[in-house]
Amino acid sequence: MNNSPHLDVLQRWMMSVIRHPEGIEAGINSPEAQQEISVPPEQVGQVILPSVDCTSVQRLTVYGNAYFARLIECLEGEFPAVRFLVGKDAFAGFVLTYLKETPPSSYTLADLGRRFPDSLNANRPPKEEGDTTPDWADFLIEVARLERLYSEVFDGPGDEGTAKLSAEALLAIPQEQLLNIRIEVTPSLKLVHLQFPVHETITAVRKGKPLPSPIPQETFLAVHRREFVVRRTVIDKPQFILLQQLQQGTSLIDALSATIEEMGGESFSPTMLQTWFRNWTAYGYFTNVHLPESRA
Amino acid sequence: MERADLAKQSKLGMPHLGMGVGLRSVHYSHILNESPAVDWFEIISENYMDSQGRPRYVLEQIAERYPIVMHGVSLSIGSSDELDFDYLQKLKALANTVHPHWISDHLCWTGIAGINSHDLLPVPLTEETLKHVVKRISIVQDFLERPLVLENPSSYVTFACSTMPEWEFLSRMAEETGCGLLLDVNNVYVSSVNHNFDPREYISKVPHDRIVQIHLAGHTNMGTYCIDTHDGPVIDPVWDLYRLAHHFTGGTSTLLEWDAKIPEFPIVHAEVLKAREQIERISPQPCASTSDQHTQSEQTTGTIAHSLPPESVTSSATLIPQPAVFVSAEVE
Repeated sequence: MNNSPHLDVLQRWMMSVIRHPEGIEAGINSPEAQQEISVPPEQVGQVILPSVDCTSVQRLTVYGNAYFARLIECLEGEFPAVRFLVGKDAFAGFVLTYLKETPPSSYTLADLGRRFPDSLNANRPPKEEGDTTPDWADFLIEVARLERLYSEVFDGPGDEGTAKLSAEALLAIPQEQLLNIRIEVTPSLKLVHLQFPVHETITAVRKGKPLPSPIPQETFLAVHRREFVVRRTVIDKPQFILLQQLQQGTSLIDALSATIEEMGGESFSPTMLQTWFRNWTAYGYFTNVHLPESRA
Repeated sequence: MERADLAKQSKLGMPHLGMGVGLRSVHYSHILNESPAVDWFEIISENYMDSQGRPRYVLEQIAERYPIVMHGVSLSIGSSDELDFDYLQKLKALANTVHPHWISDHLCWTGIAGINSHDLLPVPLTEETLKHVVKRISIVQDFLERPLVLENPSSYVTFACSTMPEWEFLSRMAEETGCGLLLDVNNVYVSSVNHNFDPREYISKVPHDRIVQIHLAGHTNMGTYCIDTHDGPVIDPVWDLYRLAHHFTGGTSTLLEWDAKIPEFPIVHAEVLKAREQIERISPQPCASTSDQHTQSEQTTGTIAHSLPPESVTSSATLIPQPAVFVSAEVE
């Protein structure tokens, strides 16, 4: 090279080189790198000087190794159950595919895993036409989705330090107003519908306990954060629908109607409803209640 | 100016905070419950800028009890990409909440074309880069309404186009922008091994009146080079450099980083407190070697990697240079 490359050229070249999944020499030979600085691996000393003990390629390899090792380690931290289930090498392979499709662009590593479950889904083995039976890939994708959700609930919006709606406050609402109330749900509450009870697998991995068999079983979860710790509770389908309705700001009567309709006309006893709401207020799902008059 | 006077004087209006520790999530409970007698904490800014959960809550608790400094890893001051003002706005908002004594980052670039490598990549040390970095530091300082403090990174490559040593680049950068310097003596050591320069010359030539903070950390000897892994105690040759830096600066805020294989908090705290013992050992001839296993020649030429006993040499190719800080979710 006769002229020193400009800073932007050098930076685009180096990023292409160190991010190449097949290594530094492949990176140097890649069209992306060659477009910036046309130099073969054996002459890369024109760009990166060798040291006393290391060749230019070996020196660049430190950055190449670090790029992948760092990001794999971060995702292993966020998806410990996926990592455990598939093993170190397969997990690294999934991550390499993900990074190739979705290079990290955020300033924070907390965003790194945001689309990892989508990548697993996009690259899953194809199912035979008409086969709707949940399989191992479905299981793994659901594990990833729930692990990512845990991260988002852990560091996302919450309501610590604010008063919660108590069961007593709900019971104190005059009977004639009760059905028209709207209940404010804590911002951390996420409702999840799964094909497998993957929460059990995730818990088993995190606690080092024996893994349950990945047998399909329709599962509904309420995931929320209380006192800065993520909690997950198994609920049934009617509870899932009712909470979903309340979360959308639907009045209690409309939420109940929608739930009954969704459940094919199956109604709930007052005792059952009382139990649900007593549990939900105890868990801290609700932050406030709006009486009909208080909504303009 | 006498060194004693230099020590008393706050650098760029930034105080001497004493001996601090990098705040890491594994130590949250210990710090909140035990209130250890640490002089100050340094946080990784990016771990708290968007947090609405426990990390942010813990930080605000700790900021009420201890002096705080914000240390970033994604400013990317050397990148050819546009500055990210959304990032800077969040950085400023965090600073307005936790009131850090200063905000620091690294002389590096982390990515280009919208891709973030999450690594602290070295800049070519050229006039073009200096001009580019100086301009961006000025913009950032105006935006943050305070001087920026920039750290010398560990580096593993030398650009053929570089025309000046890093200490000269830092000196001119600080002179032209008024920014402060965070002198990482472990990084000086690691880079001196990797680039075969004299670490003592480097430390003697950076502008000492601009150094508002010193970093200490452990690293990994790979046999033919070193990696800045922050996974162990500070080694004697780095303590030697620390004493030299102390001699030239007259004393400045000192912080220990420990980011991998993190031990219990008291062990981390005890490691930074060794700095006090090191300072007490400073003789009229600074930086006399304390390490029996290294010759004076090896220390000054930065070829220490060759002289370490074989058992201290690591061969794994998957060791991760810092930063690699991720806060895992706490699940019931």
